[in-house]
Amino acid sequence: MSLLTGDGIHSGYGDMEVLHDVSFRIEEKEIISIIGPNGAGKSTLLKTIFGLLKPTKGSVTFKGNSITGLAPDRIVRLGMAYVPQVENVFPSLTVHENLEMGAFILTDDFSARLEDVYELFPLLKKRRRQRVGKMSGGERQMVAMGRALMLDPELLLLDEPSAALAPKLAEMIFERITAINETSVSILIVEQNAKESLKLADRGYVLASGQNRFEDTGENLLANEEIGQLYLGG
Amino acid sequence: MQILSRIPQLLIYGVISGSILSLGGIGVSLTYSILGFANFAHGDFMALGAYIALGLFTLTAGLGIPSTPLGPLSFGFGFILSFILAMGLTALTVVLIDRFLFKRLRHTSSIILMMSSIGVALGLRNVLQFFWGPQPHYYIEKIQLAIVIPGVGVRIKPDQVFIIIAAIVSVGLVHYFLQHTKMGKAMRATADNMALARVTGINTERVILWTWVIGATLAATAGILAGIENKFITPELGWQMLLSIFASVVLGGLGNPYGAILGGMIIGLSEEVSTAFISTGYKPAVAFIIMIIMLLIKPTGLLGKRR
Repeated sequence: MSLLTGDGIHSGYGDMEVLHDVSFRIEEKEIISIIGPNGAGKSTLLKTIFGLLKPTKGSVTFKGNSITGLAPDRIVRLGMAYVPQVENVFPSLTVHENLEMGAFILTDDFSARLEDVYELFPLLKKRRRQRVGKMSGGERQMVAMGRALMLDPELLLLDEPSAALAPKLAEMIFERITAINETSVSILIVEQNAKESLKLADRGYVLASGQNRFEDTGENLLANEEIGQLYLGG
Repeated sequence: MQILSRIPQLLIYGVISGSILSLGGIGVSLTYSILGFANFAHGDFMALGAYIALGLFTLTAGLGIPSTPLGPLSFGFGFILSFILAMGLTALTVVLIDRFLFKRLRHTSSIILMMSSIGVALGLRNVLQFFWGPQPHYYIEKIQLAIVIPGVGVRIKPDQVFIIIAAIVSVGLVHYFLQHTKMGKAMRATADNMALARVTGINTERVILWTWVIGATLAATAGILAGIENKFITPELGWQMLLSIFASVVLGGLGNPYGAILGGMIIGLSEEVSTAFISTGYKPAVAFIIMIIMLLIKPTGLLGKRR
């Protein structure tokens, strides 16, 4: 049984359908990268999986149960977490408070989990009392990912984690994504920075005009000449 | 010289009126930051609290609960009990108003919510007028003598000291709630970004409920304190203060409860000190001018959020 499967998903905003019949699967402990040009529907797909958009057709199945049309606050309790591309932190709260909010639904002590997250992002521990609104883009991305990890999810959805980051910071974020994956969290990542994200992915999907065009291992997609020319900038 | 000698006394009045404006402003600010609309009914929540306290006070007196003045204060246990119960009952009423009205309109626009709050304001005021009439009602009719603070020569009544202490305690409790409790932090997070709060798993409906409870409790406190200060209450009590409260909230920064406290103090002090130079009738104009100047110079207010 796959951890997450999408089957024939049609979705979009109001009358505008963005995704036309998209199917995919994620196995446990995999990193899956979805690449594709701007406007291909990558973010729409993540929003549909996480219940922020309702699919007009098709289904989403998580750990064997249908989550199609379930609200985000229900899905988060099932062990899936989502980091939006923008506005993914609470700027007027401190680093520590942002992480605490990540654990909002827990009623028991989460200090052990907090230490795990600080171990993944040692910089956050140093800045724990700082307000996130005053931090840089890379640091905010770490806070956003740390917040999503507070519930120890089985699947993490990341929307363009390297967007608007300097190459060196982007590299650091990708390296952290691998480290998170090694703690047996499956990851579904959507990226403009296709080359970098395919390098760390077990498998990848190429999405164009709201449809699956290719599916293969990350390596094979990187080696594919047609994809290279069309989507990886030659 | 004669004008200047009046200023220390006016500063005392300013702190008292600023305390009441601050308490009213915190609620307006919280509602704005969580629900995104200017609540025109907030002044009438204050009047509602003041009248519920009056009703309960009459009731406690009827039940024979003693209200012999406590120490130098002009009121006693029966009144304080009514005060506390009125805070709770006002919160309950406001939560019911939310359930029946605002909650159903939450998916529409902030303009519709604001317009409906004007309807709530008129409705509440007329209900108060229906039961108690338009004429003033007195909490305590006895006149209290002021104490002269030696050296400075300013006069203050024990009841006024009570108002200032009650405001400080309330503000301290709000601060503790916002900074040190899980629900308070969730409230600040929801004010920052409600969509993200939802995907994080924060129960935003419960945050909204707490926003109304805290706003209404403080509104009732402000209304009752205004009644103690003025000695009487009318159904117009809150509505008359609403302009000054909005000015305080805009001055301090819309959506920031700490800004509302700071703004309330500045407006309260400015209104009172202005009476040394211009007629008392211009008090609301002073608040309005400060608000306009602030909007022209820095529309986000003194402690406003950067967008």
